[in-house]
Amino acid sequence: MTTNPTEDDLKVIAEQVWSSYLDLDGSSPLVPVPAEKHQADVTASVSVTGAWRGHVLVSCSDAASKNVAAALLGIEFDDVAEEDVADALGELANIIGGNVKSLLPEPSALSLPHVHVEGTQGRYPHVTEVCHLDGTWMDESVTVTVLESTTDLAGASA
Amino acid sequence: MLTMVIDDSRAMRLILKRIVAQLGFDVVEAGNGQEAMDYLTANVLDGEGEIPGLALVDWNMPEMNGLEFVTAVRAEPRLRGMTLMMVTTESEQSQIVRALASGAHEYVIKPFTPDAIIDKLALLGLVPNGVAA
Repeated sequence: MTTNPTEDDLKVIAEQVWSSYLDLDGSSPLVPVPAEKHQADVTASVSVTGAWRGHVLVSCSDAASKNVAAALLGIEFDDVAEEDVADALGELANIIGGNVKSLLPEPSALSLPHVHVEGTQGRYPHVTEVCHLDGTWMDESVTVTVLESTTDLAGASA
Repeated sequence: MLTMVIDDSRAMRLILKRIVAQLGFDVVEAGNGQEAMDYLTANVLDGEGEIPGLALVDWNMPEMNGLEFVTAVRAEPRLRGMTLMMVTTESEQSQIVRALASGAHEYVIKPFTPDAIIDKLALLGLVPNGVAA
């Protein structure tokens, strides 16, 4: 039986992603923190469609997004450009979203990632939050959020 | 060995490129399946370039996705020698079966460690066993 993902699931996924790409020597893991430290200057998201519909968001501070890009692209923090952030944070959302999708009912499809720098307010209408993970990485805010669509395919509220 | 790294993320191409480059493989990058097919057409099918021995292929990409690329390569007899490894976040069993049935030789799910990639290459006989750290 498939159930909705939980914060603990997100912790496991984040740990795998960080240890594979962002914290190779184990010295700078993503550390879960209370939600009040949440800061979202940049958000990357992927959408899931099919037997389950919704979105997986990776939101973080501007500095965290540049740290992700610098780590994944092997460049200096000060050399990170906007397109570097879009590429790296988008791939991070793709990997985390794909692993969240593996916990959801099949069959479903994953969209290409979308990255935006404005707030998420109003960008994901008709959704309810399933779970989220607030954390800090290198003293900067990183949050993973799973949103489930509350509308049916015809667009009516479920 | 000439290796194609096909992924719409520049960051992921760099990660994969570092892994295979340390094995001594030469790398050609492509941002999606269509770019990869364009390279193969220009350099191999219509040219006299080296046929890549290996392609590491993402699934979700714009223009031509990884599954379409695998299918296109398998439909071309002159590219029969290419080993195709999917490297993707798609982890549904049905998707894995679909990729393998379409002609992919191996399947790696993101996130992966360098050793996971190297172990799969060893299984395919492309690197000696025990190369992974």
